[in-house]
Amino acid sequence: MSKYKGTREAFTQALLEMAESDDRLLLVSPDSLKAMRATPFADRFPERYIEVGIAEQNAVAVAAGLASSGLVPFVATYAGFITMRACEQLRTFVAYPQLNVKFIGINGGIFGGEREGVTHQFFEDLGIVRSIPGITVVAPADEHQVFQAVKAIATIDGPVYLRAGSGREHVVYKEDAPFELGKVRVLKEYGSDAALFASGFVLNRAVEAAEILSSRGIKVTLADVHTLKPIDSETVTGILEKCGAAVTVEDHNIIGGLADAIAMVSTENCPVPVERVGLRDIFPGSGPAEEVLDYYGMSVNDIVNAVVKVMKKKK
Amino acid sequence: MAEEAKTAELRKIADQLRLDVVKMVHDAKDGHPGPALSIADIITTLYFKELNIDPRNPRWEDRDRFILSKGHACPVLYAALARRGYFPVEEYAGLRKLDCILQGHPCMKKTPGIDMTSGSLGNGLSIGVGMAIAAKYRKKAYYTYVMLGDGEIQEGIVWEAAMCAKKYQLNNLIAFVDHNGWQSGDSVDKVSGLLPILPKWEAFGWHCQSIDGHDFAQIVTAIANAKKANGPSVIVAKTIKGKGLAYMENDNSWHKRVPDGDQLAIAQQVLGGARQ
Repeated sequence: MSKYKGTREAFTQALLEMAESDDRLLLVSPDSLKAMRATPFADRFPERYIEVGIAEQNAVAVAAGLASSGLVPFVATYAGFITMRACEQLRTFVAYPQLNVKFIGINGGIFGGEREGVTHQFFEDLGIVRSIPGITVVAPADEHQVFQAVKAIATIDGPVYLRAGSGREHVVYKEDAPFELGKVRVLKEYGSDAALFASGFVLNRAVEAAEILSSRGIKVTLADVHTLKPIDSETVTGILEKCGAAVTVEDHNIIGGLADAIAMVSTENCPVPVERVGLRDIFPGSGPAEEVLDYYGMSVNDIVNAVVKVMKKKK
Repeated sequence: MAEEAKTAELRKIADQLRLDVVKMVHDAKDGHPGPALSIADIITTLYFKELNIDPRNPRWEDRDRFILSKGHACPVLYAALARRGYFPVEEYAGLRKLDCILQGHPCMKKTPGIDMTSGSLGNGLSIGVGMAIAAKYRKKAYYTYVMLGDGEIQEGIVWEAAMCAKKYQLNNLIAFVDHNGWQSGDSVDKVSGLLPILPKWEAFGWHCQSIDGHDFAQIVTAIANAKKANGPSVIVAKTIKGKGLAYMENDNSWHKRVPDGDQLAIAQQVLGGARQ
């Protein structure tokens, strides 16, 4: 039995707990209070809940003003409305002056959008934010990790984008599993036939694939790359050197997210073949969450096949 | 000091700032002199009369805030900050050059006295809303001033901010609209369906005033009135782009143009070059 209904509730709980002892923490909402499951925060701290209406650009710029005055605003709404609608405000008025604003983007990935379709499926957010200098980018795997991650990002002074989910996330971690910002976490170390790097709400699929591969005698090292920027280059390089081939698994366009982050480290430090499991640069359709992931090439079987394929390319 | 003498003193300072702008842009061989000169009198009033600030402590928590939303007019703000003692006038030579504190558009991390990075048009008012909300939450008495251009209020986010300021009844937020009637491409009237400006703000529930933006007495009175308002206040200031130099006034080619040596010499003559 899980503690929360999903990552959004975990976010609100973490914020509530921190806000009790830190009066600098505020929630800025572009009519996203209900979507964020954040009503308990507004009830507990009405003077710290800033509702700006359906106006994401304003929400982010208001947050910049709040942060420049010594406060720590959390802007929380749909991932794409932060990273696309308000991209410029995030980049120019938060990241450039290095203001202490935390962004929580929900419904990350096509898994999040489910039957809503492309307008509410956000598979470019990580790529957009990764290309902006000076912002930390985090994609935790489940509600327990979101809870820990929200607390972790509050301890650093500077802008952070954290991807949260839609309520359909699978629990991978135990409730008390710690989260270390900026560090790749090795989850399974069966062997060095290939490295499996996963990020976000498809981590459960990578875990399942690793088990299937193991039962077939293919021993992988599975790592959770929850912090995409700055990337833990040292750990990634070590895993690449050990395994000599890698597969990346993400619910994101294969351009801009985890695949690029790992390929970047590989190119610079340890060139090895890399296979990318993710959305293959197309606009997907709407449908039930799990089916959508399977249909667009992110099934457990796709991950297994990618590992088999990449091993054949090993030198 | 009698009112007349005070006004004469402000006029003298404004002339100095104008001359500084022309010299800065001339020396840098790049920049926007026209839109800087149209706000010189308001900037002078703010930095040499109204703002509660301490140049020795630029990040003083209780200071009044100023956001130059029309950030391309920054040479006049840089001049005001330098003449107010935030940094030496020698820094002018670095305008728009690498490794200098005076960026092409204002940067709060590099220039002492800049309260907010700006230049991408339309965004300053929202940021001012954030600062004003922060003041209320923190129970601080400071005012937040935002300088908007009449062209830039075509951006939708300005009106998102206007709604938000009204909702929170931000009586500590004062916006100026520099209504010089021109924008980069052409006259504001030709480019957009924006005019008249004042009724738009009235419809959004703001306290509204219209003044001559080159009349110090009107600027001072308008700020005093704004401080008495129950909510956010806007002062639409009718100005002349390039004000102070006949060759520049109302000639939109001076939106972004570099004065040559002769034009600098005229500025020195008209605006009092002896005070170099």
